Amino acid sequence: MDMFSEVLHLFLSLDNILAIALGVVIGVVVGSIPGLTATMAVALALPFTFTMEPVAAILLLVGIYKGGMYGGSITAILIRTPGSPASACTLLDGYPLAQQGYAKKALKTALYSSVIADFISNIALIFFAAYLAKIALNFGAPEFFWLICFSLTIIISLASGSMIKGLLAALMGILLSLVGLDEVYGSQRLTFGNYNLMDSISFIPLLIGLFAIPEIIEFYRKKVVPHIKAKASGVGMTLAEFKRCLKPIVRGSLFGVLIGAIPGTGATAAAFISYSDARRRSPNRDNFGKGEVEGVAAAEAGNNGVAGATMIPLLSLGIPGDVITAIILGAFMVHGLTPGPIMFQENLTLIYALFVGIMCSSLVLLVVGNGAIKYFSLIADIPKSILFPIVLMFCVYGAYAVNNDTFDVWLMLGFGVLGYIFNRAAIPAAPFLIGFILGPMFEDNLRRSLLIGHGDMSIFVRGPITWFFIALTLGSILLALYRYFSTRRQSSRPGKAQETP
Amino acid sequence: MKHIVKAACLAACSSALVAGVSVSTASADEWPTGDVRLVVPYAPGGTTDVLSRRVADLLQDELDANVVVENRPGAGSTVATGRLARGGRDVDHTILMASPGHTIGAAIYPDLAYDPVDDFVFLQNLIDIPNVMVVPADSPYDNVIEFVEAAREQNMTFSHSGVGSSIHMSGELFKTLTETNLTAVPFAGSGAALPALLGGDVDVSFENMPTVLSHIRSGDLKALAVTSAERSPHLPDVPTLTEVGEYSLDQFVTTAWFGLIAHESFPQEAQDAMHEALAGVMQREEFLSFAEQLGAEPGQVSGESFQQFIAQEVERWQEVAEQAGISQ
Repeated sequence: MDMFSEVLHLFLSLDNILAIALGVVIGVVVGSIPGLTATMAVALALPFTFTMEPVAAILLLVGIYKGGMYGGSITAILIRTPGSPASACTLLDGYPLAQQGYAKKALKTALYSSVIADFISNIALIFFAAYLAKIALNFGAPEFFWLICFSLTIIISLASGSMIKGLLAALMGILLSLVGLDEVYGSQRLTFGNYNLMDSISFIPLLIGLFAIPEIIEFYRKKVVPHIKAKASGVGMTLAEFKRCLKPIVRGSLFGVLIGAIPGTGATAAAFISYSDARRRSPNRDNFGKGEVEGVAAAEAGNNGVAGATMIPLLSLGIPGDVITAIILGAFMVHGLTPGPIMFQENLTLIYALFVGIMCSSLVLLVVGNGAIKYFSLIADIPKSILFPIVLMFCVYGAYAVNNDTFDVWLMLGFGVLGYIFNRAAIPAAPFLIGFILGPMFEDNLRRSLLIGHGDMSIFVRGPITWFFIALTLGSILLALYRYFSTRRQSSRPGKAQETP
Repeated sequence: MKHIVKAACLAACSSALVAGVSVSTASADEWPTGDVRLVVPYAPGGTTDVLSRRVADLLQDELDANVVVENRPGAGSTVATGRLARGGRDVDHTILMASPGHTIGAAIYPDLAYDPVDDFVFLQNLIDIPNVMVVPADSPYDNVIEFVEAAREQNMTFSHSGVGSSIHMSGELFKTLTETNLTAVPFAGSGAALPALLGGDVDVSFENMPTVLSHIRSGDLKALAVTSAERSPHLPDVPTLTEVGEYSLDQFVTTAWFGLIAHESFPQEAQDAMHEALAGVMQREEFLSFAEQLGAEPGQVSGESFQQFIAQEVERWQEVAEQAGISQ
């Protein structure tokens, strides 16, 4: 009981509540502006936390992280410009929904699934941190390699329409991901001597170019103003839809938790894996990519599921899984605290106070998100002839802001043209992005495994985790083959029936 | 219509938030005559960034002027450094937070358009962070000599946080000096590299002290040696590599240093003002406790001796990079 009151005493102060609320608001606003990421916002806020109490300081940063994770989906849905890389996947179904006049539905779906995933992730952090940290430590390069293999097999399910076009897009993504410095030898690959390409192709300009620019080109090419009425005041998410989305949300959250707990993977990969998995399992499979609420829900659940879970390796092992948690680690250290096993012994009340705050942040996200939807969805009412020039300005600004360099603006415009060609040729963007994100992870972990194992292949079957993912990979391929042949049989049957009479 | 106005207001507010508001407080006659720009050659969030923001905060008081931090990441700090070397507008109000990337970058990136020593003035070395040679807790080796003897007999691996990082180059330097069979295993940052070390997938690492200090204290990692010239007050029982006294390890003194540099045309008046201000910053309690938290020691060199140190570093890493066959 003493502990309980101490925790409450530590947490229940106006400063802490304000820190969470302020953090989430900053996160949502910054996250929704293309080119400004939650990472930047957390880094910029860090100096202000030096003079704050430790709990409030950490909660402010965590709030920004969570708000930013959700905020990216707003512009992805409304103007086809992902505010942050992790929301690129939300756009695949969110924007078509907005186009059909269901902007509010898409935004609400994104919010609710974000909040639920965030909540599940927090629960995992609070109750299963020790177990998940153990898994994370046993998750070496070979295990990672098989996880990526499994994820790549999911692409098969994403190649809607033409399988050839899907594979083509995925290979193009992998090819572009090769640009930059070789991870092992440091030699340059496909940089053509241009120092701007040494750090590989920046992801944000690629996303903005690929998605936002083709819409603008298309609009000015046709020069017709589409009349879509009553978007901002449209219907939200219905109960039936919510029930339908619940399963993908829970599964997506669990993907997010697993991926978040393993250092070095990231929310973008989680969103795509969750999205692909949802599509594969959904009865509305064919509607994915055309405006399916389940798609929005799965994507947002995947990326928000990561947020709480990245705190697992940070708090229990003292290992930051991504840049944001690295900054949060810095904030801990400035206050004389070192995350890791020792902190659980020495500062347990503080950790519990943080947990209470982190749980509250999910609630705050719900409130702030609802407010944000109310105002941001007004964007949907702006006539496109006024909106698109503003969007174009944001595209240029967003691409520039990543590295403060005009090279990225040209890169963004180049990808705009590529995206337009993709649209015209009906080449799907999702496999392209998955190839771009997972390709390097595949290569790096393959090479890392071989280096660790001194070239001995047996490292790839070294333990239960590798066996588990090998089984999943094989299962996934077999399932895809079974589906492929059974749909062919089904589609060939009515054809024959027509021939007989 | 009301909705459009509302949305427009919202857009205006958010862009104002992005742009930020800067008001100069400096007097007109002496340097600085405007805002001072502190360029961070890495993305937000790393040690360089965190340190820069802390220093900018304190420097602001000392200079009585705004110090604006600007991130310009790319190609292991060489993009921002190259831009500074080219000079241009504001060059007398621009300073850059240099780190081992400055000297190692010169060794591993081909066709740099600048000279890492002659094109800059070196203001002040702010902090030095030693690296620690660490092995997993269940490693059979308890000291450097045992480790080296074993690594000469069999193949071993060391993890690092990316090609050209001080962690990577320290490993390569160790390998060259001790003539051991070490293979470098790259990871995307120390956060991703640590689990491999804790889980025993790799045999050794030369991590920055702040990254591994808590793991050493909790007993999850064993520290065999520190790479600084003197023992670290954080790990008084751990010997330095020079103390080993074998395998030419007496040449192995290296730290992750951080310091401020500027364009070679940085006015003398500005240099004097900066020296004074930085001396003030380094005496501040906030700075010292921050350095302490990072496991760092306050920097020792400034001005010409800082420049000499850089020249030696460039030469050293060039040799190591050549022997390790990295890039160029």
